[in-house]
Parts: sequence; structure tokens; C-alpha cells
Amino acid sequence: MSITTIRRSSRAWGRRQLYSFFSSLGSLLSHRVGTLMTVLVLGIAMALPLGLYVTVKNLRALDLQQDQWGVITVFLQHESGEDQAMSLVRLINQELNVSAQAVSPDQGMEEFREASGFGQALDMFDDNPLPWVLLVLPGPAEGEELRELVAELDAWLQNQPEVDLVQVDFKWLQRLAGLLELGDALISVLTIVFSLAVVVVVANTIRMDVASRSEEIQVLSLVGAGNGFIRQPFLYSGFWYGLLGALLALLLFNLCLYYLRQPLEQLLDAYGNSFAVQNLGGKGAILTVFSGGLLGFFGAWVSVQRYLREIRENGMLGRR
Amino acid sequence: MITFEHVTKRYQGGATALRDINFHLDPGEMVFLTGHSGAGKSTLLRLTLMLEQATRGQVYVDGRNLSKTAYRHAPQVRRRIGMIFQDHKLLSNKTVFDNVSLPLMIAGMRYGDICKKVRAALDKVGLLSKEKSWPMTLSGGEQQRVGIARAIVGMPPILLADEPTGNLDPELSRELFGLFRQLNDQGVTVVIASHDLALIRSMGKRVLVLSQGALVDDIPGADIAGSAT
Repeated sequence: MSITTIRRSSRAWGRRQLYSFFSSLGSLLSHRVGTLMTVLVLGIAMALPLGLYVTVKNLRALDLQQDQWGVITVFLQHESGEDQAMSLVRLINQELNVSAQAVSPDQGMEEFREASGFGQALDMFDDNPLPWVLLVLPGPAEGEELRELVAELDAWLQNQPEVDLVQVDFKWLQRLAGLLELGDALISVLTIVFSLAVVVVVANTIRMDVASRSEEIQVLSLVGAGNGFIRQPFLYSGFWYGLLGALLALLLFNLCLYYLRQPLEQLLDAYGNSFAVQNLGGKGAILTVFSGGLLGFFGAWVSVQRYLREIRENGMLGRR
Repeated sequence: MITFEHVTKRYQGGATALRDINFHLDPGEMVFLTGHSGAGKSTLLRLTLMLEQATRGQVYVDGRNLSKTAYRHAPQVRRRIGMIFQDHKLLSNKTVFDNVSLPLMIAGMRYGDICKKVRAALDKVGLLSKEKSWPMTLSGGEQQRVGIARAIVGMPPILLADEPTGNLDPELSRELFGLFRQLNDQGVTVVIASHDLALIRSMGKRVLVLSQGALVDDIPGADIAGSAT
């Protein structure tokens, strides 16, 4: 093949693509109601995993003070004073090789006053009701290792005579981490299930398109259209369905977020967590639209492959 | 251009549509295919268009042995053939212009060229004023002519017509046959299945006569011209 032949045939290919592109848009526009219904179904299907994804993303972003995960709070007996607190800190440092710090009742009161907003109520106390508190930081371990270390420390601290109460925040944090992990797993499952739903919905819509246009397919084939030419507009249609569905999903999702944002931020403010609800982000949005289009394309492809063959084998194209 | 060698076509039900057909058409030849309905005219055309496959024997079109051609190459064969159908086979959701332009769209021609060629083809069949009409709003004769415009727009070397004058009045039929002859004069190989014997006789072209699936007569054009009244 000479260069000019290749150039000419690639140009012809481009024009055929252009033709398919516009013909697919035209057929979508000519069945507005049907198109709208399909896109609506796809939009809702895609909005669900999106919503869950952003929920989990926001939970992760919550200021969980992850550096203090696994902090052990040790409340000393009321009668214990600074000496005992300091000696215990030293003991923990030396014996266990773990860092710890002491918080005096005054410090504790100050922090509490700031964080809780109960300032005036606290003034009613004549003397400070808080005990000395030790914050024990088990260090840079993670996961199972950290848990073992914390359990060990917990047991050791419980045995000290000055200690009144050992509080480990670890269980709660573990539960949260577990929940987030579950969320991730759910996202994966939902994404797969709903992607499948998108493929099936598009495949079914395209199947009906193919059926309703079997006469056209037959005529196109009679005047010499190849499989590619016949298939192309349907593939583009599938792509459009997926793309529009994804755009609608984004729209629905943003509407929900817009509606929920204020009450959510108010709620979180009340917990003393200055927090801005995170959206999907530009990259996520682009990825969503792109994968929507791709899924639609794939659904159309599955359907067209199957039904074009069926039309041909049924002899609608002549093999009676 | 078209050669049938010992072609037999048997349908799955067991009915034999064609049996041991032999003939050869040179490039630029014009031939009429005649016989009663059910004699096998349509089957013969369908074999040429790769809509059917011969049960036995070889069909050659434009140098290509169709019996040995994979079905996926059928589009290439069909693009060399302009086919005119008895029932027009127009797309009702497309305008006359779009219907006629289909073969050119498939060929991936530039839009400007498509416009020129489609208008030329419509002009040839006398329907230039109807390019924006919908097929359903046209009379049977006009629809048939749209089908003809579509068949000739890509200037294929072969033109097949299956009862093209089936629904037309004699005046229009004669006009159409004149158009076919004109195309043939320009070098197009033309095969017309028809049972309008009077009209066929007046054309003075070669006639193949089918009867019950067999080729019973092959009358050269000269003899037809001699018998013309």
C-alpha cells in the first residue's frame, strides 16, 4: 500500500467515524424520552457508589488526631501528687522504654475549659477535682504490633498502686478503622455491582436500538456497509449513554451534597471539629465521567456483537 | 464480469431454487433475466450479491470467486454492485438525500463530493427537487427511482435490478429502461430481472430465460432485436 492510499483510506475512516458520531447523536436526540429514561437509570446507579465513596473519604479526613492513636490515658489516685506522677513517668520511660508525659490538674482544667466551653460552670468548683494524668504514647508501632504493646502497657499500668484508671482509646479507634475498611470493601463491591448494572442497562438499551433499527441495518448491509460501519453508531450511542449517565450522577450527587453540607458541618462543629465537607474533586469527577463512557461503550459492544450476529444468522440480511 | 458455473441452490427446506446454472456476462454487457415468478430470478441475483451461498458450483463476480469468499468480505463485493430492489428498501427515517448518499457515506467520501454526486444521481432519475422529502411522501415510482439513484450514485461497475418496473406504469417503465441502457452505454454491466416481455423485446438485449430453477434459454441480443416489432 502506498502512502497516499493509506492516507486516503485513513481519511475515509475518519469521515466514517464522524458520520457514525453524528448519526449516533441524532438517534439519541430523536428518542429523547427513551434516552432520558436510560440516562436517569444510569445516573442513579452511578450516584450510589459515588456517594459512599465520598462519605468514606470524608470520614477518613476527619481530624482523628491519628498521631495520638493508641494513646493510653492513665488517671492517678486523687491523693497522688506531682512527685508520684513524675516518678511514674520516669519509671515508664526507663523500664518500658516508652514515652510518657504528665498533665497536672491545673493543666487539665485549662484544657478542659478551652475544649468544652463549660468555663463558667467550672468556676463553681472551689478546688480542682481533676487528678494527675499521665499520657502514655506507645510509639510508632502499627496494627497488630501496636495492639500487643498497648495490651502489655495496659496490664503493667493496672498493677501500679498509684494508678486509679487506665483508659485505652484503642478499641474505639480500631472499630473506626474497621468500619472504614468495611466502607472501602463496600465501595469496591458496589462499584463492581453498579458497573455491571451500567453495562447491562446499556447493553439492553442498545439491544432494543438494534432491534428497532434492524431494517436500517439490513439496508446498510445491502448497500455494502461493513460490520464496523454498522456497529459504530451503536458503540457511540453506548458511550453517550454512559457519559451522560455519569454526568447526571455527578449532578445528583452534588445536589445531595449541597443539601446536606450545612447540617453536616453544623453537626461536626458542635463536636468541636472544624471541618469542611470534601467533594469528589476534579480528578474524581473526570474519572467518573470517563469510566461512565467506557462502561457504556463496553455494554454497547457486548450487545451489538451479539445481536448483529443474530440478525445475520436469522437471515434478516438475506440468508433465508 | 459475472459467471455462473454449474450453480445449484437448494434451500434448507429442500426446495431447489436453481439447478446447474451456467452463463457468463462480459463487462459492459446488458442482460435481461426472465421467467415466471418462482423461476429463480431473485435467487440468482441474491447469489450475485452474496446474500445467499451456492449449494454447489461457483459464482464469479468481478473476478472474485464468491464460493471461496468469506462472508466478512461481502461488503467489498456489494460495494462493486448497485442493487435495485423491487420493494425499494429505502430507509423511512432518512430523507431522499440521506438515502441516496448511504453508499458514499460508507465509502467515507468527503461531504462536498457526496453532495455533488447525490445531486447528479437524483438529477439523472429526475428527482432533484425531492432531495429533502421523506420516502413515505413519494409515489411508488418515485421511491423506485430513489432506489435507482442510490444504486448508481457510487458508479459501481455492475447494476442489478429485481423487477424494477414491477409497480410502474408503462410510460415510466420505458423511461427507466432507457436510463438503464444509458448507463450500460457508459460501460456498466446491467442485469435486470423482469417479466415485462414486451419491454424486454423492445430493448434488443440478451435474455436469459429461467424456468423452475433451470436456465432454459439464452437468447443473444441480435435475435431479440430481430423479433422486435
